Amino acid sequence: MIPVMYVLALAMTVFAIGVFGMVSARSGIRMMMSIELMLNSANINLVAFSNYHDDPSGQVFALFSIALAAAEAVVGFAILLMIFRHRGAINVDTINMLRW
Amino acid sequence: MNVDWILSNYGVLLPEAVLTLFAFAILLIGLKYRSVLGYLAFVGAVVSLGLVIMNFSVNATLLYNSLVFDPLSQFFKVVFLLVTLLTIIASIRYYHGNVHQGEYYFLLLIATVGMMFVASANDLVSLFVAFELGSIATYVLAAFDKDNPRSIEAGFKYFMIGALSSAILLLGMSLLYGITGTTNFTALSQMSFEMSGYTLAALVLIIAGLGFKMALVPFHMWAPDTYQGAPTVVSAMLAAGSKKMGFVAAFKLIILALIALRTEWYMVFAIISVITMTYGNLVALTQRSLKRMLAYSSIAQAGYIAMAFVVVSHTNVDSVVNLAMGGALFYILSHAFMKGGAFLAVGAVGYMLLRDRIKVDVEEDDIDNFAGLSKTAPITAFSLAVFLFALAGIPLTAGFVSKLLIFSSAIYGGLAWLAVIAILNSALSLFYYARVVKVMYWDKPKFVLKGEPTAYVVAVLLALLGTVLLGVYPGPFVDVAMKVAEVFL
Repeated sequence: MIPVMYVLALAMTVFAIGVFGMVSARSGIRMMMSIELMLNSANINLVAFSNYHDDPSGQVFALFSIALAAAEAVVGFAILLMIFRHRGAINVDTINMLRW
Repeated sequence: MNVDWILSNYGVLLPEAVLTLFAFAILLIGLKYRSVLGYLAFVGAVVSLGLVIMNFSVNATLLYNSLVFDPLSQFFKVVFLLVTLLTIIASIRYYHGNVHQGEYYFLLLIATVGMMFVASANDLVSLFVAFELGSIATYVLAAFDKDNPRSIEAGFKYFMIGALSSAILLLGMSLLYGITGTTNFTALSQMSFEMSGYTLAALVLIIAGLGFKMALVPFHMWAPDTYQGAPTVVSAMLAAGSKKMGFVAAFKLIILALIALRTEWYMVFAIISVITMTYGNLVALTQRSLKRMLAYSSIAQAGYIAMAFVVVSHTNVDSVVNLAMGGALFYILSHAFMKGGAFLAVGAVGYMLLRDRIKVDVEEDDIDNFAGLSKTAPITAFSLAVFLFALAGIPLTAGFVSKLLIFSSAIYGGLAWLAVIAILNSALSLFYYARVVKVMYWDKPKFVLKGEPTAYVVAVLLALLGTVLLGVYPGPFVDVAMKVAEVFL
């Protein structure tokens, strides 16, 4: 069996990639992809810990969060689509009407 | 399996069930009859509110202890439903004739159901699912005026930050589950933690994830943009309702479940609370857009409410804990009226400008448009003035009583320095609130308005009634808040 620390290290690496993508991405789609990565790193964690504790509730949690990530992506892409209709681009640098 | 059996076991779920049924009915009826939808949503929210109040002192758990129904959850459900009611009343006018009304009221009611389940959650899984239900529906609501690029931008920013925060929250929850092996709050609260890097990481991630929703500095960046860009009725709902969802989740997850770690989060919340109230008030000073100013004032108010976390983690004395949490709950109730009412009053002005086709060369919620409002729209102007004074904490309003309770709990808890900072902040905030009142009452009007819209007036007056009632006759409400806060002892 793979030690839980290895899985944890994998999950944290995936999360870090997600954070880096979120900070550096200029395209809305890339930001969405980064968020998916971050959510999935937590899912890896949940499943690994569920195995480690021999307790199924972590896997149930992961299933719920996968479904929620899908629902969230739907809303996110719908909003991106409307931005594309208004501006013809989804570059986040141009979304700057509201600021102080 | 008959109706009696279901009612006796799952009867506590009736308010949520009624609201969900009404939401789907509205979605169907909206295909054909659009003019009745607002009233239908209103009826649904009233019935649900009645059911919650009838069952106020319930004490039950459901579904293997993953949902709990106690006075705390019922209290928050009342707050959420009141905010939804105010929003629905004003929306009847704002979305009158809109082809997408059905979807609007559906999302509004479903978001409320999500918030109500957050108030009842007693498990990491049910908390996260309910939290997402309440959030995802509000992302769509913020971007609902899809012909208005500002509304879409507001929705986009809210969505991105919201999704980021739920990813952070989920990672924190997964670490917490890894450390303890349980997802249940009751089991978590009896756990003794050994301090390690993982525990600290889980705590920090959870505070950050929930901090986004509560709009605490430094997790506040989305709030001003979203509140300014979203349709004003939705801003009212977000500031007065959705934000409280973050607070109830934090009360449950941090104060109830992770109380064993309180020495760790004491300093975090002390710093966050002070920075939040100071930053919110300082930036609000320079705003010209009233919605943006209210957003920053909302951030500052979140800082005052977050003082409760500091007091609870600092003291062991039951009476002080009770005072702090009772004060926070009372603050949340009165903030729902004050902030909801203020946003709706600002929205009424924007609506009147649009209706009367008045061309202004500034944004619709710019402070210039409020010049002389006391002559052109006296009810709205008077109510807005009362809301703003209440937010500043002038006596005889709800804001004063809530500030009194929470600040005095800080003093009793041995945190006089925190109370002093908070009081100085309140004094500072009076400046920008009073500026708006001055503009409304002493400046000359620039245009003539053709009467105030009835729906907005009704909603604003209801909020005004709440604000004044809680300020003039706070006794019974404070008693209820204190009673509810006994959950935290």
